[in-house]
Amino acid sequence: MTCEEFAMAGLEIGPSTEDGPLRLAAREHLRNCPHCAALYENWQGLRDDLHALGVASRERETPHRVEVRLRQQFRVKHGTMRTRRTAAIAAWALAAAAVLVGVISWTSWRHQEAWNVAGRHKVSTARETAPSNSAPAEAISPAAMELGDVVVAANSGDFALLPGVIPPSLEDATVVHVQMQRSALTALGLTVNEEHGTDWIQVDLLVGDDGVPQAVRLPQSPD
Amino acid sequence: MEIDLQERDDVLLRRSAKGDEDAFAEIYRRYQARLYRFALRMTGSAWAAEEVVQDIFMTLVREPKKYDPQRGALGAFLYGIARNRVMKQLERAPRELPLEDSDGTCRTNSFATDPMTPAHWAELRERREQVRSAVLELPIEFREAIVLCELEEMSYEEAARVLDCPVGTIRSRLHRGRALLLAKLEMLREVPKRVNAGH
Repeated sequence: MTCEEFAMAGLEIGPSTEDGPLRLAAREHLRNCPHCAALYENWQGLRDDLHALGVASRERETPHRVEVRLRQQFRVKHGTMRTRRTAAIAAWALAAAAVLVGVISWTSWRHQEAWNVAGRHKVSTARETAPSNSAPAEAISPAAMELGDVVVAANSGDFALLPGVIPPSLEDATVVHVQMQRSALTALGLTVNEEHGTDWIQVDLLVGDDGVPQAVRLPQSPD
Repeated sequence: MEIDLQERDDVLLRRSAKGDEDAFAEIYRRYQARLYRFALRMTGSAWAAEEVVQDIFMTLVREPKKYDPQRGALGAFLYGIARNRVMKQLERAPRELPLEDSDGTCRTNSFATDPMTPAHWAELRERREQVRSAVLELPIEFREAIVLCELEEMSYEEAARVLDCPVGTIRSRLHRGRALLLAKLEMLREVPKRVNAGH
């Protein structure tokens, strides 16, 4: 064993190291090299000192106050996390409730719309199938009321509001069948073709409870 | 909640991350002493060592997900944080010499209970102080190797895991650290002799 080899490996050998070729070679080197022998002796002294230093501080522990502080921080951190989690859950619950209310409102509105359309369709169907002097409530189509046309189409079966008339209350209205000259419609505020002004026509008038005509209908002639 | 003594660190850490204080306390008790001693021996200051330990565990409280069990043991991870914190402490503040002996007892108490003669006791104490000072003056990489392998008596393999380097590196750092220690102690012991010879 050379001095370099001894410095690298020989110093590791202690009194408790098992006998082996390395230990034997190191011993042999120590006997022949006073420099390495002195180094080894110094190293063993240092090793003992280090061991004593290690043993002396082996029982040292972190002061208890550190654990107390850490536990406090732990509680604060997880307390905050719990609060945040609760807030997040509450926010999500609120958002879900808002969405639910929105969906319910929309569904309800859609349902109402569908019901209205069905109601109109029902009124229209009833009007088409009912006799001309049937219930006045079913006689005026909403379309005719809304439009308020002053010109009555010859082939239109609807009541048309007369000019300046507010949509009447249908409960007290009465349908009156009259025969008149076409030109007489001008007295009701309607425009007529003057060429056929002398023609006699059949007209249905919707008369309100005050006796004033409010809407007019030209029943379709069979031809 | 009951803590199984053999429960794995990563399981405990997961429970701790979910707010289980007992799990956190168990991790703390498993590692605080060795981390404190490491920091104390590296910095030479009880105050700094206390700060280091507190920082290490605060990291666990704040960012438990920083630890990845796939990358190694929790102990090695904690030593990694300890090394960083020790470096910062050493950069920040000059070394403070502790007022008490490293075994935590007051000098007068030790003196009173020591069966050896006062002269012998004083000589031993002086030697220990010299060794401690010499260790604290070593460059950090050699100091780490000496602290872990000589003072904590870790195996080379354990020290290599803690310092995240090959075993060969630990061997060479130890070799150089010991040589430096011997030289420093030689100097420390020569100075009084020369002073005495001068008189």
